[in-house]
Order: sequence, then C-alpha cells, then structure tokens
Amino acid sequence: MSLFWSLWIMFLVVLNLGITLFLFLWAPRAKIPVQQDGTSGHVWAHGVLREGVHPLPLWWVILSASMFVVGFAYLALFPGFGRFKGLLGWTSHGELAANVASNNARLDELMKRFSLYPIEQLAGDPAAQQLGGRLFLDNCAACHGRSATGNQLLGAPDLTDNDWLYGGDGKAIFTSIHDGRAGVMPPWASLGEENVKNLAQFVLSLSGRPHDEQRAAAAKPLFATCAACHGPDGKGNQALGAPNLTDQIWLHGGTLADIETTIRDGRQGHMPAWSPRLTEDQIRVLAAYVYHLSHPDHAYPK
Amino acid sequence: MAYKHFETIEKHAPLLAILTAVMVSIGGLAEITPLFMEAHSVRAPLGVKPYDPLRLAGRDIYVREGCYLCHSQMIRALRAETERYGHYSIAEESVYDRPFQWGSKRTGPDLARVGGKYSDQWHQLHLMAPRKVVPESNMPGYPWLAQTKLDATDIQARMRGLRKLGDPYSDADIASAPDALKGKTELDALVAYLQGLGIKNEPMAANGQPATDGGEP
Repeated sequence: MSLFWSLWIMFLVVLNLGITLFLFLWAPRAKIPVQQDGTSGHVWAHGVLREGVHPLPLWWVILSASMFVVGFAYLALFPGFGRFKGLLGWTSHGELAANVASNNARLDELMKRFSLYPIEQLAGDPAAQQLGGRLFLDNCAACHGRSATGNQLLGAPDLTDNDWLYGGDGKAIFTSIHDGRAGVMPPWASLGEENVKNLAQFVLSLSGRPHDEQRAAAAKPLFATCAACHGPDGKGNQALGAPNLTDQIWLHGGTLADIETTIRDGRQGHMPAWSPRLTEDQIRVLAAYVYHLSHPDHAYPK
Repeated sequence: MAYKHFETIEKHAPLLAILTAVMVSIGGLAEITPLFMEAHSVRAPLGVKPYDPLRLAGRDIYVREGCYLCHSQMIRALRAETERYGHYSIAEESVYDRPFQWGSKRTGPDLARVGGKYSDQWHQLHLMAPRKVVPESNMPGYPWLAQTKLDATDIQARMRGLRKLGDPYSDADIASAPDALKGKTELDALVAYLQGLGIKNEPMAANGQPATDGGEP
C-alpha cells in the first residue's frame, strides 16, 4: 500500500473514531434546556409526541464503551490502521500456512506408517481406504463414477473388476494416476465399411458371443493388423493399454453398433496426469484405494 | 460546542442529511477507495498472456450463459479450499479478466484451477448433458453450444476493444483470429477456456506454485 493511501486511511479512521468518541463523551454532559414538564420542548404531531430528557441507560453506555475498547484493541492487534501491520503480525496467508503445517504434522505420522508397506498391502489399511475414498470422490468420481464402475461414454474404465488396461499392480496404478494415460485406437474406416462390419463380427467371436460366422471368417486375415496392439489372440497388451477383446468387458460399449463405431472411427481415451495436483503421498493412498476396489477382501496389512 | 448547535442540525433536514451522508461515507472512503485505486496498479506478470481468440470467445460464452451464477473463480486462503482446489487465487491472475469472474456464489465447485483436471471429452459430454458423467449433478445442460459456430469478426472487434483498455494484442494477433476460430463451435471455445483456467492465467514458478503470493494482503 502506498504512503498516500496509508495516510488517507489513518486520517479517516482517526476522524471517524474521533467524532464518535467526542459525541460519546460530550453528549451525556451537554446542558439541555428542560421545560417544566420535563421535556425538551420539542413537539411533533401538534403536541401529541414530546421529547423527554433522560440520562442514557447504563447498559447502553457500557455497551458503547466496550465497543470503543474492542475497536481500539482490534486496530492495535490486527492490520487495519493504514500500513500498520498490527502487533500480532496476523495475515490470512500466514494463518493458512500455519493451518496447513499443523495438518501436515498430523498426517505426517500416518504417511510414515503408509510408506512402510507396498501399495498392494496399503490397500487393506482402513485409514488409507478412508483417505483414499475422499480423494477419489473429489478427483476421480467425475469420470469413473462415485462407485468407480466407470463410464462407457468417456471410455473411463470400471475400476472394480479385475480387468486392467495398463496393469493392475500397485506400481502400474500409481503410474496411471501420476502420469495419466492417453489411449489411442486409430480409425479404420479406410478399410471400407464391409471390412469394418466383418471385423466387428470377428471381435464378437473372440469373446464367444453370438456372431455372423461367415463375416467373422472373412475378417480373420484382417485381424493381423489389429493383432499388432491387441495381440494375435486378441488378449490385449498392457504395455500399450490395448484392451483384452476376449473378456466380456467393454471400455466404450459392447453392442454391435458400439464395436463398429470403435473400429470405424477409432477411440481416444484420456486420463489426466494428477502429479500437478496431488502429492506423491496422496497418489500412493489413491492407488491403494483403487487397488482395494477390486480386492475388497484384502487382508489388513501387518 | 453547545446544545443549540445540535438543535440546529436536528431542525434543518437538508443539513442533517448532508452531515449523515458525510459520516456514512467515511467507511466507504477508507475501505473501498484505496483498493479501487491500487487495483489499477496491478500489472500482468511475466508468463500471463491475454486470452487467445478461442479462449476469449469461450470466456464470453461463459459470461453469456451465466456460469458465474453458480461457479466462482476465486480460491480463498483457507485450508479447506486450497486442499480441494489448489493454491489460493492471486490478483495478477485476473488481470485480463474484464469483468473478473471471482464471485462468491457456489452451487457448483470453484473453477479457478479446473484446467487440465478433466479431459476435453469429459467437458464436452458434461456441458451437453451433465448427468451422463455425474449422475448426481444438478447443473443444466447446454446442448445448443455444439450447434452454434463462432463469429470471427465479432471476436476481432472484441479484441480491438480490449486493446483500447490496455490488453497487449498485436495487429497480427487480431488478424489471425479468424483462422484460430475456423470451424470451431461455441462448445469448443468454452472447453478451451475452461481447460486454460489456472494453467494459462497464472505466473508459474519452478515448483508449480504461482510465482507471487499476491502481494501485501
């Protein structure tokens, strides 16, 4: 704050408090001419209302006096009087820093205990589950849902099953959260609509679902292209995040129309990286929570 | 001073009104005027650039649709807020916001640092039909945004207007605006704006925290 505005505020504060304090001290002592009927002689409504002259009630005087005391004490202790920072040196940022520090100190012990065992074991710790659950609701639920069952419209995977795109051990889950994931299924419309339809039938056959055998057989040689990511037997590849096509779990929907759309137009999945928002400790707890979701019967860590 | 002076004030309504106004305005003069005048001295820090055309268009749609009625863009210096939303907001971040979108009304969450929290696709789906991604949401859908194309000449006029107010747009910036908006819908612009919040409007230090703490409180 510049010197001018500091002086400006000081002047106005002194003026305001000065005038009110003067009135408070002087008014009870002011000589008010009193008529014989005990009023000031001021009348309203043709004499129906008259102004009485009485001393101020004691409770009001005490209340007002204490307001002055509080006001002066506030200006002395806290910032308010221009540039003067107050005797306590209080700032909102300082209070926040102190709150964060005291909270971190409380969590520190917990985090130290958490760091003793690997994420898979941490998953069974009720405290980690509670902390992780909070973090999950705030950060993950928007895509994966509050119950973590995913969202096929987004291609956000179900986290409660045991099907993993990028691996389901603690380290892989930690990496997925920490660095994010970008899944890319290229569009294959260039193969022609017939081939797209044939491939969709072949994909249905991989998981043993009812399909058109003729079309599926026709697409079999074409699947060699798909096998580059999804593997020769369609079991997927966790190094690439290519889904397993032989289970009954569908990232972007498992109807024939969904599968055809996936092949024709491709899919892009985007899991944001959480390292800019969450600390390593928080991500570890979150990874443990996610691990716990698909291993609910996990034993309490020793 | 004697009682008769007060009697004079009491009996002359205009004088009473003027003196009352003077006393009442002292609070405002002390609390509002200095902040108002000092606000003009807030300068854009290094690394904070004016909105690019697409994000500027998105910002105008944000204002037009009244997003500020439910979403604030100001993280207060309270632990409950910084834990959830990130570092508290600082004045310099809003230097190119005309008008600012701070607000204090939160039906939905604060958006000051929402950029990058969700994917573009999530935002598109969420703006079109919020309950498709968040079943518990009470946010209305904005499906018309996807059907309306952006008006490039309108954005150029807005950029020129902002330049008059001091935003450092170059002639080249304004000339290239139509290219940046080609084929984009209002939905694209709003998503671009949201994805930049807290990422493109703050001076970042090496440790990922805003480079200043907003100066003296």
